[in-house]
Amino acid sequence: MIELQGLTKTYAGKDVVEEVSLRVESGEFGVLIGPSGCGKSTTLRMINRLIPITRGRILLGDEDVTELPPEQLRRRIGYAIQSTGLFPHWTVAENIAVVPGLLKWPKQRIDARIDELLNLFHLDAGEFRHKYPHQLSGGQAQRVGVARALAADPEALLMDEPFGAVDPLTRDVLQNEMLRVHRQTGKTIVFVTHDMDEALKLASRIAILNAGRLVQYDRPIELLTQPADEFVRNFIGKADLGLKLLSRRWVYQYQQSAEILEQPSSFHHDRSSVTHGWEIDDQGRPLCLHGGRLYAEESEQRTRVTHEWSATPDMTMKEALSRMVWFRVMVLPVLDEQERLIGEVAMQGVMGREP
Amino acid sequence: MHSTKVSKGESEGLVANRVLLTLLVAALIGAALLPFAAMAPNRLVSGQSVGLVSALLAWQWGTLGLLAVLLGLCALSRPFSLPAAYRLVLVAAPLWLLLVLYGLGSYADRALEDASSAARISQGAAFWIVAFCPVLMIVDAFQRLHTNLALRSLYAALLAGSVAAMFALDVFDGLAILREYANNRELFAAEFATHLRLVASALGPALAIGLPLGLLAHRRSGARGPLFGLLNFFQTIPSIALFALLVAPLAALSEALPFLRALGVKGIGATPAIIALIMYALLPIVRNTYAGFAGVAATTLEAARGMGMTSRQILWRVEIPLALPVILSGLRIVTVQAIGLTVVAALIGAGGLGSFIFQGLGQYAIDLVLLGAVPTIALAVVADFLLQILVAISKPAGAR
Amino acid sequence: MRAVTLRAPTQGRTWLLVGLSVLLVVLVLFMEALKPLFQFAFPDLQSPLYDRESFLQLTLDHLLLVLVSSVISVSVGVGAGLFVTRRGGREFEPLVSSLAAIGQTFPPAAVLAIVVPLAGFGFVPTIVALTLYGLLPVVQNTIAGLGTVPATTLEAARGTGMSRAQILLRVELPLAMRVIIAGVRVSVIINIGTATIGSTVGAQSLGTPIIAGLVGNNIAYVIQGAVLVGLLAIVTDLFFERLERRFSFGG
Repeated sequence: MIELQGLTKTYAGKDVVEEVSLRVESGEFGVLIGPSGCGKSTTLRMINRLIPITRGRILLGDEDVTELPPEQLRRRIGYAIQSTGLFPHWTVAENIAVVPGLLKWPKQRIDARIDELLNLFHLDAGEFRHKYPHQLSGGQAQRVGVARALAADPEALLMDEPFGAVDPLTRDVLQNEMLRVHRQTGKTIVFVTHDMDEALKLASRIAILNAGRLVQYDRPIELLTQPADEFVRNFIGKADLGLKLLSRRWVYQYQQSAEILEQPSSFHHDRSSVTHGWEIDDQGRPLCLHGGRLYAEESEQRTRVTHEWSATPDMTMKEALSRMVWFRVMVLPVLDEQERLIGEVAMQGVMGREP
Repeated sequence: MHSTKVSKGESEGLVANRVLLTLLVAALIGAALLPFAAMAPNRLVSGQSVGLVSALLAWQWGTLGLLAVLLGLCALSRPFSLPAAYRLVLVAAPLWLLLVLYGLGSYADRALEDASSAARISQGAAFWIVAFCPVLMIVDAFQRLHTNLALRSLYAALLAGSVAAMFALDVFDGLAILREYANNRELFAAEFATHLRLVASALGPALAIGLPLGLLAHRRSGARGPLFGLLNFFQTIPSIALFALLVAPLAALSEALPFLRALGVKGIGATPAIIALIMYALLPIVRNTYAGFAGVAATTLEAARGMGMTSRQILWRVEIPLALPVILSGLRIVTVQAIGLTVVAALIGAGGLGSFIFQGLGQYAIDLVLLGAVPTIALAVVADFLLQILVAISKPAGAR
Repeated sequence: MRAVTLRAPTQGRTWLLVGLSVLLVVLVLFMEALKPLFQFAFPDLQSPLYDRESFLQLTLDHLLLVLVSSVISVSVGVGAGLFVTRRGGREFEPLVSSLAAIGQTFPPAAVLAIVVPLAGFGFVPTIVALTLYGLLPVVQNTIAGLGTVPATTLEAARGTGMSRAQILLRVELPLAMRVIIAGVRVSVIINIGTATIGSTVGAQSLGTPIIAGLVGNNIAYVIQGAVLVGLLAIVTDLFFERLERRFSFGG
């Protein structure tokens, strides 16, 4: 747990961070966001005291960290930054070993930890241990950077725009990996970004800062539905607010039961009260959808189920909606890991109720 | 439309390697037109010139001619493929060089057989050209082959070893410069040692002062301007002027303070030389130390601090290893520079190889001049090469 | 790594240049006026002022040596640098670069000495040595300066339809000029120093009173020569510093 109490930073008589108080619970993924110069990075860097605090308190667990020697504090908190800051003269293994080394772990334990972390990030330990940073791709380097931050099993993890310098595709992959690693390790994370989509995707709580002040600190969904003021509304972006909202909703929340057709060949939309139905094979995997097209008068009323035209329970509703629109079908099959049909989501459902 | 790199050989017709051809033609023209050696009745008069063909035995210039033909073929697009041609140059060019050296030595021996004992044989302009061109051919071939430093060093060591062996086998003993050496054997050893001692005793203090100053320039931006201004000021003053200007105050100081005189501080001699050498050495050391530290990426330092390294740990484990190659490059510049400046120090009585040069110039004894100049140049080139290797080794494996 | 620029503050440099230049001229013209001062400082000396030639003559001789050699060095050096960076001469670039680098490890004084047996004593060997030595920094910096012109800039110049000559004269040379001038600065400063030593091979220069003083144990001569040549070098360096700054386009 990290708690900031009345945190203030003054440069040359000007408050760049002003009375920020917030609390990131254990295991939470907290994101600090705001326009450039809002003080989000300064706030983050005050947590591990890279920047001296002018006023206020920071609690790590129930300890007031302002009383600890800064170096000791930093060894207890992982830190990952944009463009990684990997040491160019050390191998991947040596980079990861830095903090455990500073903490004087025995060599065996460090070695085991390096392998464990490389595995966590799906990097082959045999291959990557001895590589130098300049031999890594941007995405790999960033993974090593985060692995290094996690090396000594820190009480919390601070990340300063860690994915800011990688291309959009890699960023997406890294974000998904970050979510997975967060689930697996349960670390308390404080993450700085200026990208609202990134924040909505990763955060369990978002703190919006403006001109050094905390404007709103809430769960993403509340931020979207109950913005504190005009600034927050503008910052989130009014234009695609609805879509942003759907990016915080998941398919399992909207999932309905699906109608299985016993005799698919005899399905006729006109003759039954049912608008559509699914044809499945003997393993329970859907083959195609009868009916359910956008225009009932279309001659072809069957849609083949493909990988692109289907959903999983943990998919965001934004993506599910996108697939429906693209394929011009009002429903989407929901599949489990064995690709069996477990339900469906429908266009009406998206608009219908609040989960 | 615009070619990234003109592909050598294929598009250019007959000539595949114009550099090699140019060097070869230069060597041949030099050999044809300029004197290869000169013979003088004694050390103080200038000699009679001898061309390459008349100085060398038939088998010697014949072999040189064959090697020239071989090198010429290497420069053409046929019959050899390019890498094969480069490798062939690496064999033929040193053979050419060694043969030229041997030829000069053997000419000297033969010419002296029926001459007075005062007669002198010295090398002429064609010799320098014919010896220097194969060296450049070798350099060019290595560059085209992109050979790594280790192999190049090994090759250079072999070549230097062969030349040293020729010295050891008394091949050159007939040459005036070695006659001069034979007459001054002990003095040469002493002056050589003095030269090295002067350089070393300047570099030690220069590093001791320069490294902290470089770090200071990095940490305190306000100190940078005045510091570099002052050091550049030193560096700008011509060496002989700085040496000379130190003479007067040091003489006065030593006059006034007997304990300094007891320490050996005098207006003339090693003291002003070493002080001046230190003053010259400071700018490159301080500048490169500063540049080395300034070159460490800000994110690297941020990460180091963020992970809880103390400033001492950051200095020793991160900053110094990353800055070291640049700092050593500064040391390389300074060492070479100091070896050269020490020559001038002979003018204020500090000794060293320069004393041969200025003594020789004073007596119009050219061979004595060369006895000072050639070893100084060799010393500078060797020091440069060794420090270059040190710089390469100091580069962390991960740094580009 | 090496992109660190060391820039001295502009203010104060101008009046320093002007002041030192005036001081240099005054000392060159009116050194005799200081005779009583040297007499007072060195009462044991019979002749406290170098008077075999006038200091004006020595300074002009010195400047002539440096000027002639520098003009040759700069024209040949820039020409060579241009040649090896054009398409026709690119093949020579690695060799010329390493030649310039290796050559600069040769001590200037030793180069001067080694030219003597080939060119004799006097003005000529000094000019030859100064020219040869002065070439190297100019070539090196011309190549480096032209190399710093960004490929995108050249691409843009080509895209606007400039001819090769126009690209060279209006884009490449102006952008490379600061680095080339830095090379000329190094070259000229070294030549001022080496010309001083030229007096040991019989070329008259400001080094002449220094050598005469060292040989004849006359510290006053030494000081007179050394102060003038030191001032000359510093004034020249400050002048080139200004010149360099004029060609820096904020980058």
